Order: sequence, then C-alpha cells, then structure tokens
Amino acid sequence: MLQRLYIHNFRCLENFDLSVKEMPSALFIGKNGSGKSTIGIALGVLQQIGRGINRVKELVEPKDFTRGRSDVPIRFEVDVLLEGKQYHYELALELPDNFKELRVFEEQLNVAGTPVYSRKGAQVTLPKHSGNLEAKFLVNWHLVALPMIEGQLESDPLPTFKAWLAHMLILAPIPSLITGDSNGETLEPKRDCSNFGEWFSGVLGSNFAAYSQIDSYLREVMPDFKNILNPLIGKDFKSMIVCFEEEQAKLNVPFKDLSDGEKCFFICAVVLAANKSYGPLFCFWDEPDNYLSLSEAGHFITTLRRMFNDSGQIFMTSHNPEAIRKFSNENTLVLLRKSHLEPTVVRTLEDIYTEGGFHGDLVEALIRGDVL
Amino acid sequence: MSVNKYKSHVLILPEDDANRQIANGFILGPNLNQRNIQIMNPSGGWSRVVEDFANSYAPEMRKLPERMVVLLIDFDQDEGRLAIVQEKIPLELKDRVFILGVLSEPEKLKRTLSKSFESIGINLAKDCSEDKYGLWGHELLKHNKTELERMIELVKPFLFGDTASG
Repeated sequence: MLQRLYIHNFRCLENFDLSVKEMPSALFIGKNGSGKSTIGIALGVLQQIGRGINRVKELVEPKDFTRGRSDVPIRFEVDVLLEGKQYHYELALELPDNFKELRVFEEQLNVAGTPVYSRKGAQVTLPKHSGNLEAKFLVNWHLVALPMIEGQLESDPLPTFKAWLAHMLILAPIPSLITGDSNGETLEPKRDCSNFGEWFSGVLGSNFAAYSQIDSYLREVMPDFKNILNPLIGKDFKSMIVCFEEEQAKLNVPFKDLSDGEKCFFICAVVLAANKSYGPLFCFWDEPDNYLSLSEAGHFITTLRRMFNDSGQIFMTSHNPEAIRKFSNENTLVLLRKSHLEPTVVRTLEDIYTEGGFHGDLVEALIRGDVL
Repeated sequence: MSVNKYKSHVLILPEDDANRQIANGFILGPNLNQRNIQIMNPSGGWSRVVEDFANSYAPEMRKLPERMVVLLIDFDQDEGRLAIVQEKIPLELKDRVFILGVLSEPEKLKRTLSKSFESIGINLAKDCSEDKYGLWGHELLKHNKTELERMIELVKPFLFGDTASG
C-alpha cells in the first residue's frame, strides 16, 4: 500500500508531499489545472520504471521541470508497505547545462531501513550483504538503475517492489481507442486502455477464475449480459464480442461497438478481477465517472471503493457531484493552486472543514468556489 | 445498473453533509447489496428533509410499491421531533418510511467515538449485517430502536446477503 508520495520540481508539483497511510481509497478534487492528472503522470513515471523502461528521456522531458527550472533536480520518492515490509524508493533527475536529455542525479532503494542499493550519478553501490562484499559499478547516467538491479537472495524483496510498480494501474481510458482486439496478453494496461483486449486476455490467462468476477460485475450493471467471446480471427489475433440475452432473444455486439460508458463497465470489471487475481494492486483512475450516466456514477464509484477497501488501494479524480458525494471528508484530498505560477498544495477536506473553510452541502460549496 | 425502481430498494434522504457521510459509510459496509440502496443529496435541515419527502418522494412512492425511504435527520435533543415528522408521513406510506438519526447531532457522536462519520456508518452496517445491536445501542443512537427494528425486518432480505459483491 502506498503510504507517501513526494514529488518536487515536476510540472506543477513542488515540494508536494502526500501522506496516504491507511487510506485504501481517496478522491482528488480541484479546479482544472490544479494538478490532479499530474499526480497520475508522476505515478506513471514510477510505473514505467517498474515495467522496465529505464531510459530517462522516455520517462521525463526537459519541459517537465517546474517553470523550466532545470537547475534543481526533479525528485520522486515513494514509501510503500508491501507484505509487512516498508520500501522507500527515491529518484532524482537533473539536466546539466548544454544537455538535451535528463540524467540520473541520485537513486536509492531501502527496505525496512536497510539499503538495497544507492547511487550518485553513474556510480551504483550495493552494500555488504550476507557475506557478499560491498560492490560498486558504473551505469550509464541516462539509465535508471532499478530495472537492472537483481536480488541477491531468493528471499530478496526487490522483485516484490518491482512487480508492485509494474502492476500499478494508472488509468485515463479513452473509449474510442478501445476496440477489444488483441494480439497477445499483458498484465500491464496502458493509461488510455487501448490495449484492453490484451489486458483482458492476460488477466484470464493468469487466472481463469477471474472470469467469474468479471461476469458477476457485468451482470449487475447490465442484467441482459450473457458472456464474452474472444475468438481467434487471425494468426495470434483475437477480437472480443459481447453477448446479450433476454428471454429468448440474443444479440452479439463487437466490443468496439459498445457505448463509451459500457466500455467503462468492462474496464471496471477487469480492474476488480485483476485486483483479486494478481493484487493487491494500486490503482489511479483519472475521472472514472466520465461517460457514465448520473444514476450509475455513484454505484460505480462505491463498487470500486468497496472492493479496494477489502484489499489494494484506489485513488480517483473527479468533477462529478455524484462521485464526489461518494467520498467523505477524511478521504477527499483537495488540490489547491492559486495561479499557474504557484505550486499545487494538497489538503484533506476534513482539515478545510474543521477550519471553517466551508459550510453546508459540499457540492454546493464547490460550485460557489468556497472550498477550492 | 442504477437502483431498479421496480424491485425492493431504499433511498436515504440525509439532512446534511455529516449524515451523508454516515450513509456513505453504511453503503461501504460488509455484505451490503449497494445496488439496492441510493443516497440522495442532502436537504439542508430536518424540516427540509420532510418537505422534500412530501413534495418529491411521496408522490413517486405511491406509484412504486417497492420503494422505501429513510429520513436521516438530527433530533437535536428534541424528544417530540419523531412524532412531528411521523405526522407528516401519509398514512398509506408509513410502513415504508423510516426516521433515523443521532439524538443530538452527528458531530457529537463523532467526537464521542473519535471515529470519522464514514467509520461510524460502516460499523452501523456491520451491526445490521451481523444482527447485533452494538453501536446502535450507543446513548446517542439507542432511541432509533423501534424504527430500526421495523426497518431491518423489511430491508434485510434484499439489502444484506452473501451475494453482495459491489
């Protein structure tokens, strides 16, 4: 479970310290441009590292420095509790004068306070460990070391952390890009979910029992849902078809022809199944209520909250009153930014309320601009 | 799918934001079929809850026999409030309308228990699911006993159960 996220000098996030200990679900609210999606982008950098992308220029660009301030490193830090062990990972990236591409300034991973490795510039240090002497070696400054470091022991916690990063779900689906076609399997959905077909196949491939979870959720939201077909239509190429049935009537619909909101139901179903199959997972879903009807949005959010309260962790962003009302003051995080020249500040709604920051109904207070 | 108005379901009408958060916790409770329950927007005061009920909900309830409504209000230490609100409920709907709330106000319950509104709601749902009186027996909640028992008898079969998945 993510316990703390620290981001510095990355886009609108300066000295941004987010404490989310014991928070299985949370909602970020804030005006447009306050930094909600940027948190997802920053988490996406860490996810990509977990997935083995370690060329720095593929992770961040010079334009990501806050207001172009490249004389200060961009810094990412996470504290994560996994299987009872506390992980602390730090990565600082710099852009020396006359460089076009950022490089690693500092990097380190500690588990339960013990260093797994540390790095200054090109030099990586593996500390003395179970009889092994301290090791030092050089790596390319433009490569993040984490994907290249292997555990020294079978019980090494490193793979657990890398898998947690890799399996993070950072979602901002674009339904028009989701066709249900697939050419292989993955447990690593893209942010826009354009590889949904591969992810669906991957989740079922890793644990076929996941289908019952998917089926159960879809029957709740679409009572005439019958099943999903995913036939081979070419060499290594599948295409999803959704079957509906009411009384004696049947209808098969190619996945790509479902409505945007219906595609979101399928994403939700696979998120829930993935969390059960190969979780607990961390999920950041940017505006999950997009494309949903007003009568469905609240149930959709509550379903995700309930399932991740049992295990895993889900953070969402929203502007939708129904979604906002499904969270409470202690798990609603308000992002505040006075102007484009100032950094994002985060506060819990509970703190704002306790200080008399708003009165009466929350959504009306948001509309009046009393909270933000 | 949203609440199916032709099948048994409950609408909760919270008085204010604090009651909304308690209700939020309730629907996060274990073994609860959250698709059979819907929290409506806070009305902004107990008398507004009664007014909203009379103007918007009562006419619809007459057409929808499977609809039940919980008026979630603060009693503000007013012993006569339950009777005042009950008087405003049309006779033919009384069986399907339940009036619940904190004896004083939710903030006092929150301070006394040192728990968030949402945690209080989760605990209340857990007690309902496990047939326990538990937190419902608290000094600030025990006055709900009669209404609660009347409600549980009607809603338990469709609101709580092993099939709850979301």
